[in-house]
Amino acid sequence: MKSRNVSAVVCAAIAALSLAACSGSPSEAPSGESGGSSFEFWSFTGINQKQAVNEYQKQKPDVQVKLTEVGNAQETAQALTTALAGGKVPDLVLIQGDDLPKFVQQPQNFVDLRTMGADKVKGDYLDWVISQPTAKDGSIIGIPTDVGGMAIAYRADLFKEAGLPTDREEVGKLWPTWDAFIEVGEKYKAATGKAFIDNAGGSIYSQVVNQGQEKYYDPQGNLVYERSPQVRTAFDLALKAVDAGITAKQSSFTEGWSAAMKRGDFAVAAAPVWFLGQIRDNAPDTKGKWDIATIPGGSGNWGGSFLAIPKGAKNPQAAWDYIATTQSPQGQLAHFAEARSLPATPSVYQDPKLTSAKDEFFSGAPIGKIYTDSLLGLKPFLIGPDSTTIGTEFTNAITNVEQGKGDPAKAWDAAVTNIKTAIGG
Amino acid sequence: MTTSISPTASTGGAVLPPAPPVEAARRGFAEIIAPYAYIAPFFALFAVFGLIPLLFTFYVALFDWNPIGEQVFIGLDNFSRLFGDVRFWNAARNTVSIWLLSTVPQLLIALLLAHLLNHVRLRFAVFFRMTMLVPYITSVAATAIVFVQMFDRDYGLLNWLLGLVGVEPIDFTQSVMGSHVLIAVMVTWRWFGYTTLLYLASLQAVPRTIYEAAAVDGAGGVRQFLHISLPSLRPVIVFTIVTSTIGGLQIFTEALLVNRGAANTCGPVRQCQTLTLFLFEQGFIQFKFGYAAAVGVALFVMVVVLASLNYFLSTRIRPVKS
Amino acid sequence: MKTTRPRSGERVRWWTYVLLALAVFACLFPLYWMFIVATTDTATATNLPPEIVPGDNFFHLAGLVFSTVPFVRSIVNSLVVAGTIGVGQAVLCALAGFAFAKLRFRGRDALFLLVVLTMTVPTQLAIVPQYMIISSLGWVDTLQALIVPGLANAFGIFWMRQHISSAISDEILQAARIDGASTWQIFWRVAFPLVRPAAFVLGLLGFVTAWNDFLWPFVVLKSPEMYTVQIAIKALQNSFSIDLGLAMSGSFLATLPLLVLFVFVGRRMVSGIMNGAFKG
Repeated sequence: MKSRNVSAVVCAAIAALSLAACSGSPSEAPSGESGGSSFEFWSFTGINQKQAVNEYQKQKPDVQVKLTEVGNAQETAQALTTALAGGKVPDLVLIQGDDLPKFVQQPQNFVDLRTMGADKVKGDYLDWVISQPTAKDGSIIGIPTDVGGMAIAYRADLFKEAGLPTDREEVGKLWPTWDAFIEVGEKYKAATGKAFIDNAGGSIYSQVVNQGQEKYYDPQGNLVYERSPQVRTAFDLALKAVDAGITAKQSSFTEGWSAAMKRGDFAVAAAPVWFLGQIRDNAPDTKGKWDIATIPGGSGNWGGSFLAIPKGAKNPQAAWDYIATTQSPQGQLAHFAEARSLPATPSVYQDPKLTSAKDEFFSGAPIGKIYTDSLLGLKPFLIGPDSTTIGTEFTNAITNVEQGKGDPAKAWDAAVTNIKTAIGG
Repeated sequence: MTTSISPTASTGGAVLPPAPPVEAARRGFAEIIAPYAYIAPFFALFAVFGLIPLLFTFYVALFDWNPIGEQVFIGLDNFSRLFGDVRFWNAARNTVSIWLLSTVPQLLIALLLAHLLNHVRLRFAVFFRMTMLVPYITSVAATAIVFVQMFDRDYGLLNWLLGLVGVEPIDFTQSVMGSHVLIAVMVTWRWFGYTTLLYLASLQAVPRTIYEAAAVDGAGGVRQFLHISLPSLRPVIVFTIVTSTIGGLQIFTEALLVNRGAANTCGPVRQCQTLTLFLFEQGFIQFKFGYAAAVGVALFVMVVVLASLNYFLSTRIRPVKS
Repeated sequence: MKTTRPRSGERVRWWTYVLLALAVFACLFPLYWMFIVATTDTATATNLPPEIVPGDNFFHLAGLVFSTVPFVRSIVNSLVVAGTIGVGQAVLCALAGFAFAKLRFRGRDALFLLVVLTMTVPTQLAIVPQYMIISSLGWVDTLQALIVPGLANAFGIFWMRQHISSAISDEILQAARIDGASTWQIFWRVAFPLVRPAAFVLGLLGFVTAWNDFLWPFVVLKSPEMYTVQIAIKALQNSFSIDLGLAMSGSFLATLPLLVLFVFVGRRMVSGIMNGAFKG
């Protein structure tokens, strides 16, 4: 019967395809030289490692780098975890700062980079940055690739409509403190009826909390989030902004937030240097309408990633060579020129490539200078294994109030209770 | 030497049609093991990928199991922590709520539609049946993206329509009930056509003559439905209740994709985090495999209990004899 | 009293068509909306009052989809996985269903009860150990990790058993036996051809379910080249610019193959589902 023949052909075709798909390793690199100098690199999306890899390959044409953008930063961390738990590990992996603590707690899963030469280069990096991938036993499991810095990106055109100054120096003077910042927000809202800032959790709480001496842990590694004054200040400031009704209630990096940005439904956002790329991609039509001013409190950092080599990597040497070349001070400076990622190596901060860098999308703002300056006032605080979880719970509590679902008076206690549940006391 | 078709006692009261056996041939070892060989692949696969993981879940639940760290035996500590964990009960509540919201309307709608479709003279019958199956074949992720957009607080279609009649915008993804409704709508949309077809098939098996006889006896439409249609639908209704219990209590994908800002917890205060999502979050985000396994055990117990309960309850429903 | 007297010869009430039309609208509108956003862009999608006419941006967005994730590869992956599962389930379930329906062997009824019981086991909760088993086999990030576990389908056995019971009379099998056929020959030459339509539908349903599976591929697959179509769509959400148009375009492109398939085999699916249902 005809259908019998058809189904036989279909079966055969599927069998053939299956064999082809299953037996072949998912590798596009030419099968090659045994061991050789090729390595597998897992990165996450949105950070443009492709460019860096291409540059590296140009310099070293005999090395094959197989780059995989696994997903967003958290998904990449997840994939790394499941790979470490019993799968195929890559030779090199990019881990975002928020996801790093859990890995630093289990340093046995990574190659101690001191054995590859990290001792010689660790002094190149900001000390509060290189301390993050340093485990309790002193092993260094990651090398920093960049930092975020912190500033406020604002829509100069919308400020003008609201009768506010537009020059970035003057705008910076408008808000020396966060309370002044909120007042400006209220003024903006009164003048235009629109929201001032995108949200209170990411743009206010997460920035203020980084400006103190101490965050969630004391220098000895004890949990102090409940009594840490900066934490409470940050929390209350965020709630104050919510109460003033100046936020657009859009959680960062969601579709609603992207749409709101395009339409100008908010005029400012807390912007580390990589955030500028987000603005460029999400609202390309607003080119030239933005500018960048200093953040209240003057200093801050959001973001930063690390390159690590998992234990069991097939070609750790090739991976280390990549790190050593691309993450040297000159390497990070070069990456700044291409991708606007801020080096974590202070020795290049006075380099003209940084100090003279201007961004046309942001009305020619001198981004190199603004962002490196924002790092100067940063006091290092200890980031512990549960810092990310604690931060998420605080932000969630604020978002809940912001969305009109939570009682501001009870928000702090709710957050603390949730944190205790999540991290077990 | 024909065997008669009669129900065998060993079906144990389950709804199984009688199966007349063919005697296994007397010759050859191959013939004797043939039946076992035919069912072996299923049991082998199930053993490896169904049963063993399930048993292993029970085992892992007794440990503090960090996938990249150490595994420490802690006995029933995970469970005592779980039962005191507000997030667990929250997820359980969400799961039951979403399950009810997505099952009850779905089955009722399917009953109604099956009833409507069960017309001899209905035109475009095939068209109706086919279009109702379209949601079933739509990709789950795609469905979620579309529906979340349609239900968006600021830019969604639904809120715009509600605004036309003067209703304030509802924040579906952020509110507890709203997010449950959103997920329930997605699940209902996906399954109601399939369920309708199942019911329709059963209805069509009822001979018209029975209805005609009842009409002659003076029974109106509603009585005919209750006394003829419904009893004939009982087995398939039982089946759909049990399968949608098992499926509905495990909803994951829709919950994951509803709240972009806080995907793993389905909202900043876990508004719509289902048990499966909680399991996933604890296991793959927090790296607490043991705790996640404990959630899995709890979910298993819940499914078995509720499915059995539903089975017994629904087989006890009998229409009142006139 | 308004009677809805079924069914023989009665004229169909007009509101029956209205309700059915509503159902059809509810089924098709979301897909239509998906198509509209896939052919315009995010800005238009968030316009209110909403656009109801498709735009002209389809190819641009579709092109973006293909360049952001390895979409064609993901469709191939999904085809391989779903196709193998469909065919595999059809054959395995027919085999087992035949054994339960027509062969007599010791423990048959107890084993069948066991099969029914396995249907009650919720699968999602065991993903952690399932992952551990898969990784000990070295199958992480492979397609066989998706295919092999998906071949076991208790419901399919149930389904085939029912079909075989009702569709195949003992006489035919007895005749073949008398003619000297072995059990395998009876199955493959006599029984299977008779229930091929039902097996085909089972295969189709298995195909659709496997195509739409999300959680397990999400956990097991890592590299973009191994993605199935569902994970590829999710990956679109991760791209640097959160673009609704892009996400919807990907969603639409992911649904399209099944829709095309549905045009060809939809009727069979419908009748298959209906024929496999309980008949009281």
